[in-house]
Amino acid sequence: MRNRVPVAALAFATLLSLPSASPAQIRASELGTVSQMIDGTRLTITYSRPRIRGRTKLFGTSAAHWGEVWTPGANWATTLEVSKDVTINDRRVPKGKYSVWMVLKETGDWTTVLDPDFHRYHMNPPDSVATQIRFPVHIDQAPSVDVLTWSLPELTVSGATLAMQWGTTRATMKLSVQPTLTVALAEGEARPYLGRYRYTPLTGRDSGKVMALIVSYEKGTLKGQFEPNVEWMGKFAMIRVAPDVFVPGLYDSHGEIYEVLRPDMVLTFARVAGRPMSFEERYEDDTLGGSGIRIPE
Amino acid sequence: MPNRRTFLSSFGGVVVGVMLPLPRRVVASDHCHPAGVLGPHPTPRPGITAAKVLTKAQLHDPKLAPLFDSIRDIPGVIDGIRCNCGCASAEGFYSLLSCYEGDAMAQHCPICQGQGKLAVRLHKQGKSLDEIRVAIDAQFGA
Repeated sequence: MRNRVPVAALAFATLLSLPSASPAQIRASELGTVSQMIDGTRLTITYSRPRIRGRTKLFGTSAAHWGEVWTPGANWATTLEVSKDVTINDRRVPKGKYSVWMVLKETGDWTTVLDPDFHRYHMNPPDSVATQIRFPVHIDQAPSVDVLTWSLPELTVSGATLAMQWGTTRATMKLSVQPTLTVALAEGEARPYLGRYRYTPLTGRDSGKVMALIVSYEKGTLKGQFEPNVEWMGKFAMIRVAPDVFVPGLYDSHGEIYEVLRPDMVLTFARVAGRPMSFEERYEDDTLGGSGIRIPE
Repeated sequence: MPNRRTFLSSFGGVVVGVMLPLPRRVVASDHCHPAGVLGPHPTPRPGITAAKVLTKAQLHDPKLAPLFDSIRDIPGVIDGIRCNCGCASAEGFYSLLSCYEGDAMAQHCPICQGQGKLAVRLHKQGKSLDEIRVAIDAQFGA
């Protein structure tokens, strides 16, 4: 279920806030948090945010020298917490909380280090130990930002781009979560549902009209499409969430699923002599939105 | 019509839907606390009653009275269902039954209402608590 939802605003939809119960204190590097839910997995980065404060160069200086194991933040080490197992740059990161470090290099990729000892001061970087998770991180240049910033500038249904930037130096990582739904369905399991169903909507403007639901099987996925076509749904994935129960997954123009209508719309099929012969469409408030009966072939 | 009811009720149909941005779907976080990691369904408390379920006179919207009355009929079932809207993080919350008591988030939250209606409907069809839980998980997530 990988896809792109390149909505720039999502970068700012992450929560950036100050702790409400902190004592009044003005800090050179104020504390911030960025948090994001992705398909049921919560990611939270907590970090102190240094500012450039007139410095013309940040990396390769006393602020952050080459070869240093540096926390991308200030004061207490930046922490990353994930509520379920994820992968970052193809490395498995088990559910938990980690201090975040980067090994700075003048050229080429840096190395990100996640250390289970998450409460460490920035002056006290961890030694290399087996419990750490290490992976290379790509570095590029971007328009300058004054305050060190963690963000998630791209979100998909199954992951995100995680970025850290200070000045013009930007580190980006690909994060993937465990999908909660499986789109693929074996052909043998899909075959009984295939066919045309006479569909009668019971709500909305077309209430009472006769439509059809055409169920097909393409590229390992059970698919549905109403006839006449419902523009905003198009041909959608029918994602099985329980025996004979499906939710629609909507495709974007790249053919990637960008939204799953769960719990908004559930199609529950009823069998006669083992064969799906009818279905009900219900909404999240359990309203019966429509029903369908198989059209004999 | 296979459509989002909020969309239909607001704009009247698919034709308009082509011209306008897609309406935001109604999700738990629109109405309640953001849903976090869901736990298992709770075990119904022995001897649980519906004594705290709001009555028609206590409801902001009397049209919800039939739903609350249906919930009142089966507290032992509703108490065995987890609410998926995020209510579980609220103080004093135990089960979906909690959503129909006290401040009663079910007065406003379509997830609390939907889960309640689904549970009531399936119970009337003779489904067991385990079967109702499966249906709840299928539609609202586990």
